[in-house]
Amino acid sequence: MRILIIEDDLEAAAAMRHGLTEAGYECTHAPDGEAGLAEAGKGKFDVMIVDRMMPKKNGVEVVETLRREGDQTPVLFLSALGEINDRVTGLRAGADDYLVKPYAFAELIARVDALSRRRETGAVATTLKVGELEMNLINRTVHRQGKEIDLQPREFQLLEFMMRHAGQSVTRTMLLEKVWEYHFDPQTNVIDVHISRLRSKIDKGFDRAMLQTVRGAGYRLDP
Amino acid sequence: MRLPRLIRSTPFRLTLLFLALFAAAASAFLGYIYIATAGEVNRRADAEITREMESLEAAYRVGGVNALNQTIVERATGERPFLYLLLDKDGKRISGSIEESPIDDFTGPGPTWETFKLTETDIDGAEVKRAARGVQERLSGGEALFVGADVQESEGYVMKIVRALRGAGALVIILGLAGGVLISRNVSRSMQGLVDVVNAVRAGDLHARARVRGTRDEYDELAEGLNDMLDRIERLMGGLRHAGDAIAHDLRSPLTRLRARMEVALIDAENGKGDPVAALETALADADGVLKTFNAVLAIARLQAAGEAPNQAVFDASELASDMAELYEASCEDKGLDFKAEIVPALGVRGNREFIAQALANILDNAIKYTPEGGAVMLRARRTSSSELEFSVTDTGPGVPEADRARVVQRFVRLENSRSEPGAGLGLSLVQAVAASHGGRLELAEGPGEYGGFGPGLRVALVLPRVE
Repeated sequence: MRILIIEDDLEAAAAMRHGLTEAGYECTHAPDGEAGLAEAGKGKFDVMIVDRMMPKKNGVEVVETLRREGDQTPVLFLSALGEINDRVTGLRAGADDYLVKPYAFAELIARVDALSRRRETGAVATTLKVGELEMNLINRTVHRQGKEIDLQPREFQLLEFMMRHAGQSVTRTMLLEKVWEYHFDPQTNVIDVHISRLRSKIDKGFDRAMLQTVRGAGYRLDP
Repeated sequence: MRLPRLIRSTPFRLTLLFLALFAAAASAFLGYIYIATAGEVNRRADAEITREMESLEAAYRVGGVNALNQTIVERATGERPFLYLLLDKDGKRISGSIEESPIDDFTGPGPTWETFKLTETDIDGAEVKRAARGVQERLSGGEALFVGADVQESEGYVMKIVRALRGAGALVIILGLAGGVLISRNVSRSMQGLVDVVNAVRAGDLHARARVRGTRDEYDELAEGLNDMLDRIERLMGGLRHAGDAIAHDLRSPLTRLRARMEVALIDAENGKGDPVAALETALADADGVLKTFNAVLAIARLQAAGEAPNQAVFDASELASDMAELYEASCEDKGLDFKAEIVPALGVRGNREFIAQALANILDNAIKYTPEGGAVMLRARRTSSSELEFSVTDTGPGVPEADRARVVQRFVRLENSRSEPGAGLGLSLVQAVAASHGGRLELAEGPGEYGGFGPGLRVALVLPRVE
C-alpha cells in the first residue's frame, strides 16, 4: 500500500511517515502543494494525506486539482484544531475523509486503513460474510453459525460497517461519523454503550468473541 | 464657558447658517415688496404730473404765456391737487401755487424731476412738512414751468409698508436666533450625555452607559445602540479575560501533571524500573484531555467572534432529536436511568447541524452525568411558538439552584458538587454559544421536583428560530 503525504510541517510529516511505515505502508512525502501534485502525477498511490494549510498550493486547491484531472485516489484531509469550516470545505473540494490535528495515531491509521480498502469492497454485494457471521443486505438479516440474530436498525448499520472493515481497527469517532453521520465530540462513552449492546447480541452464547476492543484505538471485528 | 460651547456646537452653527440664508431670502422678498409698492405709488404720481404738464403745455402752445398763466391761476385755485409755478426767462416767478421752485439749479430744457418737502401751515397754524414730487420744464418761449403734487399720503402708505417689513425682518431674526439657541442647547445636552459616555469609555471605564430618556427619538436610538455595543464589548472583554484566566488555570494543572508524570517515567526508565509504556499511555490521555479543553474553548471563542454559526442549512430538527435520542438512550439504560423522548415530527430549523447536535449532546451528557441511578431523563422537541422551537432535556438529578443558573453557563464554571465528575465546565458554555450564534437562547429551569429520593432536577432548553 502506498501513501502520499502532502504536508509542509516536516516534523509532523516525519512522525506520520514513521507511524504509517510501522503499520506497513510505503510512504512518499511532498513538502508543499505543488510538489504534492507533481508526486501524485508520477506514481500510483492508494491514499493521499493532504494538509489544509500549505505554501504554494493549499490543501483545498490540491484536492480540487486532483479531482479535476480525474484522479480519484482517496484523500484524507488534515486541518488545524478549531477551524470549524475546514471539514465542509475539505469534503466539498473532493476529499473523502477528514481529520483534525493534533490527532491520535490510532485514528490516523484507522482512517487510512478504511480509505485504502474502500475500493476493494466497492463491488455491489448482497451479502457480507466475516467468519461465522453472515449478513444479508437485501432482507436485512444476520446469522451466526446459522442462528439468526435480531438487530435494531442502527445495530444492523453498525455491524454492517464493522463487517465491511473486518480486521481493521475502527475508532469511536469514525463510528459516530460513518454510522450516525454526526461530527461532534461526545464527552461520554455513547458509542461504547452501543458496541457493548451489539457485542452482547453477536457474541453472547458463542465460544469466541468476534467484536474486539482495541486499546487506545477503538474496536475491531475479527473473522 | 457656556456661550462659546453653545456657539461651537453644530446645531447652533447650522441655525446661524440657516438664519443667514433665511435673512437673505427675506431681504430679497421685502426688497421686492418695497419696490413693487413704493415704486408703484411714485410711478402713478409721476404719470399724473406728466399728464398735467402736457395739458398745460398744450394751453401754452395755443395761447402763449398769457393763456398758460390764466390756466394756472384757474387751476391753482380749483380742485386739482397739483402744485404749479411759472417762471419767466430770468427765473422770476410769474404765477403759481408755490413761491419758489424746489429745483435750485434748473438749466432745462428737458424735464427735471425732484422729490422734496413741502412746508405748509395746518389749521392750528403749525408748520408741517409734507412729501411732494414734481417736474420742471423749459417752455419754447424761455419760461420755466413746474408741476408738482403732494404725495404725502401715498408716501405715508409706503413708509408704513417699510416699517412693517423692517419689523417683520427683525422678528424673523430674533425668533430664529432664539429657536436656534433653544434647539442647540437641547441637542447639545442630548449629545453631551453620549460624548461623556464615549469619553468615560475611552478613559477606561467600560461600565459607563448613556441615559435612555424614553423619548424614542434618534438620540435614544443612538444611546441604546451605544449601550448595546458597550454591553457586548464588556461581555466579550470579560469573557476573554475569564477565558484567559480559566485556560491558564485549567490547562496549567493537567500540563503540570503531564510534565511530572513524564519526568517520573523518564527517571524510572533510566533506572530500569516502572512501566514506561503505561506512563506514556497516561501522558497521552492527559494530553488528549488538555486538547479537548482547548478545542472546546476555541470553538466557543470562534462562534462568539463570528456572531453567526458557519455553514447553516435548513434541516429536520425532529430527525436530529430522534438521532440523539437513539444515541443516548443506550447510555441512559446503561446507567440505569429511565429514558423517554417526545419528539414532534417535521420541525424545520435553519442552522449548523453539527453544532446543534453537539449542543444537544452536551445537554444530554450533563443530564446523564448528574442524574443518579434510578432517575429519569427526558428529551423533548416541540414548537413553542409560531417562530420558535425548543429542544429540552429534563432530568431528575440534583438540579442547579436558581442563583447559580446564570453562572453555570459561563466558561469553566463548575458547581462545587460537580467537581468530582470529569469535565472542564465548558459544556453549557458551548451550548450557549451555539444558541447565540443561531439567534436562539439557552434556558435553565427547575426539573419535575423530587423523584426517587432525588431532585428537584433540571430542565435545560435550547430554543431556536423555526422555519417551515
